[in-house]
Amino acid sequence: MLEAPFDPVKLAIPFFILAILLEIGLGRLRLARAEYEARDTLTSLAMGLLRGVPALLTAGLVFAATVWAWEHRIFTVPFTAWWGWVAIFFLDDLIYYVFHRLSHERRFWWAAHVNHHSSQHYNLSTALRQTWTGSLVGTWLLWLPLAFLGFSPAQILIQQGISLVYQFWIHTEAVGRMPAWFEAVFNTPSHHRVHHARNPRYLDRNYAGILIIWDKMFGTFQAEMDAERPRYGLIRNLGSFNILTVAFHEWIAIGRDLASARSLREVVGYLLGPPGWSPDGSRDTSESLRARWAARQSAAHTPAE
Amino acid sequence: MAPDSRAPEEPAILITAFLSQLAVSGVAVLVIVALAAAARLSRSTPPLNEAAARALLADDYPDAPIDRVWLAGDGDAALARSGARALYLFRLGDAWVARDLAWTEAAAAPVRDGRLHLSLSGVSPRLARPALAGWAPETM
Repeated sequence: MLEAPFDPVKLAIPFFILAILLEIGLGRLRLARAEYEARDTLTSLAMGLLRGVPALLTAGLVFAATVWAWEHRIFTVPFTAWWGWVAIFFLDDLIYYVFHRLSHERRFWWAAHVNHHSSQHYNLSTALRQTWTGSLVGTWLLWLPLAFLGFSPAQILIQQGISLVYQFWIHTEAVGRMPAWFEAVFNTPSHHRVHHARNPRYLDRNYAGILIIWDKMFGTFQAEMDAERPRYGLIRNLGSFNILTVAFHEWIAIGRDLASARSLREVVGYLLGPPGWSPDGSRDTSESLRARWAARQSAAHTPAE
Repeated sequence: MAPDSRAPEEPAILITAFLSQLAVSGVAVLVIVALAAAARLSRSTPPLNEAAARALLADDYPDAPIDRVWLAGDGDAALARSGARALYLFRLGDAWVARDLAWTEAAAAPVRDGRLHLSLSGVSPRLARPALAGWAPETM
């Protein structure tokens, strides 16, 4: 099957709107924690609203490549087979983990993803602060093996949509902790608050889409600590609500760095190094921030002699 | 209707549907933003005092001991000296944003109409114009 019979994301749009209104209402009535700043909310929602426009540029290419891969498939997974949906659920979620980790740990892909983390707020509108350049950086290639394996383009699109819809509700402070069994297996608001935090302890953790098990398997899991409330946003927060700044600021920064690069090593470092990489190590990366934080923690707990 | 006579209409229909959806979504966005504003759910960010500025800068620059802080008269910004660095803090909505620059650049920045004209690194903003009370870098 080439064309998806339905799009989970489109079907979920009314739910997105109602859920945001509910979160605002509960916050207003002080029944749940919810912080909204109007311009921040406008920026987030405008990013989500307009994300489809740049995505149109590459939609044909992505679809054609997926169809081509499917036409050269190894097996055929029937669209109606239950086991096919179980298999793609796990495979898509594993690919999402890889995609998400890459999007944080290498600057070229971070530049496309950073806007999603650029709000200092964490509410349901933040979930819709979506990338404008994500389709241009080639991460869609990560999903092509699914088509080679025999999952149809429609099935891949639907599962990607289900994953995106799932990840909407976890962008909230209104939900504290889910039941322990749920927290152990699934990505939750608590786990994802950690992911959006800029506290050194929480940096580059919890890349999960639907299942948190991948972070536990690959050593990137960090539980939310009651004693350390997440501070949201970026290491150096943006000083603007302008959506063009939000969408393109890291690309502009990369352009400036490349213009100043003096060797191929520097070009590669600025593009493919971790965010914050610099030739002389004078800038902060997640790793250096975590190391200094760990040193401070260690010093604070070492008794004076 | 013959397939070949229908085909040319499809892109136009798709574009119309896309634009209609965009317009309806745009209205929904404006309604949500208006409700978010009316609900008054923003954080409390009172004007800065020295202790608050030091605490906020410590979040962004935990390894930077602060020698001195100058506050903007309206409490919306602060500039601090930390050794060879200047740390600048300013309000954005109901949150705070920090930047750093060389102290020599901050100390040499021009003052016009009572406002310091600071060139900042990063994409946005490129320029800050705080009206700092008692700004006298030559005394440091």
